[in-house]
Amino acid sequence: METTVAKYDPWPVLKSVLESEGVARQHLNSYNEFIETGLQSIIDEVGGMEIEALGNPYRVKFGQLTLGQPRVVEIDGSISNILPVEARLRNLTYGAPIYLDMVIEERGVPRESQRQHIGDLPVMIKSNKCTLSRLSPEQLIEVGEDANESGGYFIINGSERVVVGLEDLSPNKVLVDKETTGVNLVYKAKIYSSIVGYRAKLEISLKVDGGINVKLPSSPVDLPFVTVLRALGLETDKEIADAVSLLPEIQDELEVSFEKASEAPTPQDALTYIGNRVAHGMPDEFRIRKAESVLDWGLLPHIGKHAEDRFDKAMFIGDAINKLIELKLGWVKPDDKDHYGNKMIKFAGQMIADLFRTAFRNMVRDMKYQLERTGQRRGVNVVGAAIRPGIITDKLNNAIATGNWGRGKVGVTQLLDRTNFLSTTSHLRRIQSPLSRSQPNFEARDLHATHFGRICPTETPEGSNCGLVKNLALSALISVSVPKEEVIGQITELGVVSTREHREDQTAEECKVFVDGWFIGYHKDGAKLAADFRERRRSARIHPHVGISYVAPEVTSASSRAYVYTSSGRVLRPLIIVSEGKPLLTQEMIRKVISGEKRWHELLLEGAIELIDANEEENAYVAISLDSLSADHTHLEIFTPAILGVAGSVIPYPEHNQSPRNTYESAMAKQSLGFSSPTFPLATFVREHLLVYPQAPLVTTRMTNLLKLDERPTGQNCVIAVMSFEGYNIEDAIVMSRSSIERGLSRSFFYRIYESTAKQYLGGMKDTFEIPAAEDNVRGYRGEKYYRLLEPDGVIMHEAVVGGGDVIIGKTSPPRFMEEYREFEVKGPYRRDTSSTVRPSEAGVVDSVFVTESVEGGRMYKVRVRDMRIPEIGDKFASRHGQKGVIGLVVNQEDMPYTEAGIVPDLIINPHAFPSRMTAGQFIESLAGKAAALRGSQVDGTVFKGETPDELRNVLVKHGFSPTGREVMYDGMTGRKYAVDVYIGVVYYQKLHHMVVDKMHARARGQVQMLTKQPTEGRARGGGLRFGEMERDCLIAYGASMVLKDRLLDEADRTELHICENCGLIAYYDSKQHRYICRICGDPSKVSTVVVAYAFKLLLQEMTSLNIAPRVLVKAKV
Amino acid sequence: MKIEVLEKSDEKIRVHLGGVSRAYANAIRRIALSEVPCMAVDDVVILENSSVMYDELLAHRLGLIPLKTDLSQYVLPENCDCNNPLGCPKCRVLLVLDAEAKDSVKEVVSGDIRSEDGTTVPISPSIPIVKLAPSQKVKVEAYARLGRGKEHAKWRPAAISILTTPTETDTEDDYILEIESVGSLPASEIFVKAVEILNEKLESFTEKARSLSK
Repeated sequence: METTVAKYDPWPVLKSVLESEGVARQHLNSYNEFIETGLQSIIDEVGGMEIEALGNPYRVKFGQLTLGQPRVVEIDGSISNILPVEARLRNLTYGAPIYLDMVIEERGVPRESQRQHIGDLPVMIKSNKCTLSRLSPEQLIEVGEDANESGGYFIINGSERVVVGLEDLSPNKVLVDKETTGVNLVYKAKIYSSIVGYRAKLEISLKVDGGINVKLPSSPVDLPFVTVLRALGLETDKEIADAVSLLPEIQDELEVSFEKASEAPTPQDALTYIGNRVAHGMPDEFRIRKAESVLDWGLLPHIGKHAEDRFDKAMFIGDAINKLIELKLGWVKPDDKDHYGNKMIKFAGQMIADLFRTAFRNMVRDMKYQLERTGQRRGVNVVGAAIRPGIITDKLNNAIATGNWGRGKVGVTQLLDRTNFLSTTSHLRRIQSPLSRSQPNFEARDLHATHFGRICPTETPEGSNCGLVKNLALSALISVSVPKEEVIGQITELGVVSTREHREDQTAEECKVFVDGWFIGYHKDGAKLAADFRERRRSARIHPHVGISYVAPEVTSASSRAYVYTSSGRVLRPLIIVSEGKPLLTQEMIRKVISGEKRWHELLLEGAIELIDANEEENAYVAISLDSLSADHTHLEIFTPAILGVAGSVIPYPEHNQSPRNTYESAMAKQSLGFSSPTFPLATFVREHLLVYPQAPLVTTRMTNLLKLDERPTGQNCVIAVMSFEGYNIEDAIVMSRSSIERGLSRSFFYRIYESTAKQYLGGMKDTFEIPAAEDNVRGYRGEKYYRLLEPDGVIMHEAVVGGGDVIIGKTSPPRFMEEYREFEVKGPYRRDTSSTVRPSEAGVVDSVFVTESVEGGRMYKVRVRDMRIPEIGDKFASRHGQKGVIGLVVNQEDMPYTEAGIVPDLIINPHAFPSRMTAGQFIESLAGKAAALRGSQVDGTVFKGETPDELRNVLVKHGFSPTGREVMYDGMTGRKYAVDVYIGVVYYQKLHHMVVDKMHARARGQVQMLTKQPTEGRARGGGLRFGEMERDCLIAYGASMVLKDRLLDEADRTELHICENCGLIAYYDSKQHRYICRICGDPSKVSTVVVAYAFKLLLQEMTSLNIAPRVLVKAKV
Repeated sequence: MKIEVLEKSDEKIRVHLGGVSRAYANAIRRIALSEVPCMAVDDVVILENSSVMYDELLAHRLGLIPLKTDLSQYVLPENCDCNNPLGCPKCRVLLVLDAEAKDSVKEVVSGDIRSEDGTTVPISPSIPIVKLAPSQKVKVEAYARLGRGKEHAKWRPAAISILTTPTETDTEDDYILEIESVGSLPASEIFVKAVEILNEKLESFTEKARSLSK
């Protein structure tokens, strides 16, 4: 009997996840949360301001905040709504106005209210505020966007900026660790207590003597913990000891601390004690106040900032100390800082919230100052006039445009990588670690077990940022925050007893329950609580992003804890729920997902799959495949290839490669040219590339298709032979067929934008676009031939062929500094030539000319020049296996080797590229590519799941080819058969954006630097090639002193210097009097001329300026 | 010396060569690829191009369209007596492509090309050139001329030219030459022309050698 069991393949579920969420969901969720709740909460935190006007003070109360539509305010004051396309073209900021209701209250009575514009907020593309989020793919195309636009970035002054995800330690979590200071072992518990935009670190340390101290952020000295708990309101020693633990073993460890704190027996004494430390030398009353404010504001602000929260803080500290002592007793292990459960990722929303908080407070302070200065005048109009929206607008725009977040945080935003579609997608899923890249941080750079399914194991840069810059795996989702109150209500229903409820029968075995690091209460059985909680989440009574993890003690007497997390920024991954060895995701459900009846979110609500954070995964037992599923398993993987990130996913058969090769390819895929966006004809990115005949890879992966890379390919399928060719492919060079190149292989276009805006200057002067005329007294006139291609409006014509130095946009500007007007001067006021010219080393054809208006109201031109790039010797190419090389030789077709069937390879690579690098994946790809070409359909090369080499060999045999992939080949030059068979197949090759024309450079003579008179540096400035120290050493060793002098002096910065023989200082030659003069010694002075480096002359003069008199003692050469 | 035609059609010819040196046989193979002339578009005057495809790309695509070649009718420009850089009716053909998409998207194909002489036409009418969106227009004058494969791949009349040793025989000087035409010339003509060119070369070499001894 034959039964056909359909293969259980939950891949469509993962596909549905990415299709419905998109690749930039993490940015969008974060930003949406910020504009929907974050903004208002920052306003509410400030609440309003008291205006201390003489006689009758009043109050301005802040109310509801509203965001307008993205818009631009033109120079004439007119306002129009804009779309991202316009912002990109006109160098605008895609931002929306923020309006705030302000109510004026006098003695608590509201008088007037008005909605005021307080600033502009940059709008994230495709966020809820962005117009694009409401458009269908067809409509997106209509407005000039890519239908696959993922959004998730900002447009500031026309440039696209991404706020790269920032990895951070989880806030509000007790992390215990051992530290050694010198010979002493110190146990430390650290808590980063955070509320929106503010974070306070609390450190509790247990030293060798047994004393436990608390270090507060606002206190210069450590405080004994007993005193702190007492000040928080725990009066008796028993209360304090019980707050730590009910176990006598733990309580015994507290003895030293109690002794040390004996000088403050009551809460009042304790407050005084703290006051004495934090506000030393202040009046009594102030000291107490200060101590209280330290406890309420500086200590664990996440729990609360009011006096009534002190008890909860005491309980939290008690538990932290409990954990610390358990660590000392060896009951628990130190916490792992690199565990992904102890990490959270901050995206645009959280980052901008930090910024907005300070900007808003600055604006309020400025308003208050102005209102108090105006004094008696009041009313809505006065309040409105006191608002300077620029404070918020400029701060936000500036920070996003530069990536400078203040307080030393740089590089928070980056220019969106538009090299190809893959690089853009990958950039939006990048994560940065705040750790310094100059320190080793070995553990932080390592791949951690908890990265599985969250962070891509292969995609990370090489070098200093290795392991610190990461990329989200395809299966990773970032949690959004869920209101805590709801969740607390649910766990109370599940039997959690509040810490505030005093019970006689309380035991140490009870499980402590935390919600977002807030010690909520106790539960008899933590494991059961977690199970019940999950049950509720699976039946959609709790938000799917809420996680619960139960930490069972390894030592029975240690306390057990259950952590519930509702916070945003945790990395979740979807898993199939398994019950009694059976996956709850059924074949039927998968079928419905394929047919489109169901989306993944419904499966989530139905409880077939769930989202698991790294902490909760510690409670799970996940089966890799259906075959390995046992009764003990709690979950099943959905699609294991999704553990890779965007760049890792496009590699076929990566499991056959040595792992660093996949890492190299992940980096190179982002440099390959392709079809980056269908909007390219109108794109105004500074630099852009376009591959002329891009092809979808023959050997593909399922993710390639999912990420739309089949529609936005980055390479071409080439016939590759692996053999040596006349020595022109040694050292990773590649030999390319001239015919293939002439037929269009790897042909690409390079575009560069030249931009010019007419500015207005003080005094009514302005820039004008025109063809500068020689007779018009224009300074910096280049010569007629450079302006030959300009049309009467001063701008170049379409399709004009331009070369280096040609003027593209003719423009003249008024003088930089207005000189005094001289009536009788022959020449009138001059103008400066500020035309834009083609870069000296570039050429091309004028592709398009955009004319528009800048925000300042001036006319703006953007001219795009395109240059066709035909592959030539020195251009860089790479396969998808980290095998890169430059063209070493271009060979005529008749000279190329051919197979019996007459196939001539496009590319010949050297066999030496393989043994040491072990990129077997490329061999399999070659085989698969050949099979795909023969059978006429793509081969699936997905990691772990691809078609096997054996299957591919069968295809080859079926089509009459050798299963080995090797073929008999003949030398095209002699017609002789090669002694061995050649491995030949089809491999996808990428053209990388490093091309020789952009790099080749030589100089005989040219520009010199103004300051040192030495040759300039770099190709763009026609610079020289440095004759460095090591080269100098060679000449010294050879004894080639004249060559040395020639390089280092004569051809560098040789100068003649006149030295007074009398004083040794610099003299000069007066050409009017025809004699040498030393200003120090006066007339009768002998001056001689010496040859020195100009840099030396400069040194002498710089020293002189420091009041040092360097004297050159000249003696006649014998 | 033995020549036996094993297979012959317009597209393909298979010849068994016996008693010739490998160097000679391979020279024929190489000449078939690189020196037998055929027609291809070389100069393109773009009168109008409002398509998304750039002028230089359009010209490149036109160049790659194989054209039916009548070698008796035309001569290589360098052998032409007109001495005109623009060419004359003996060494060039004018092809005109004038296509416009009116209300719907139009795919311009090689069949839309009109030839001056009626014989130099694309080998297939269905080679795609460019897709036009409504209201876009392409109007070009393309000048085709004879050229050789070593100059540019568009002038290669043979797609494939293979010289193999028959597996069954072990004898030296026994080869099979296979030529597959792109379509511009019949395969047999490519073969014959290749042999002729080789002979001309050998003859001119002999001339030169003789002149040395004088």
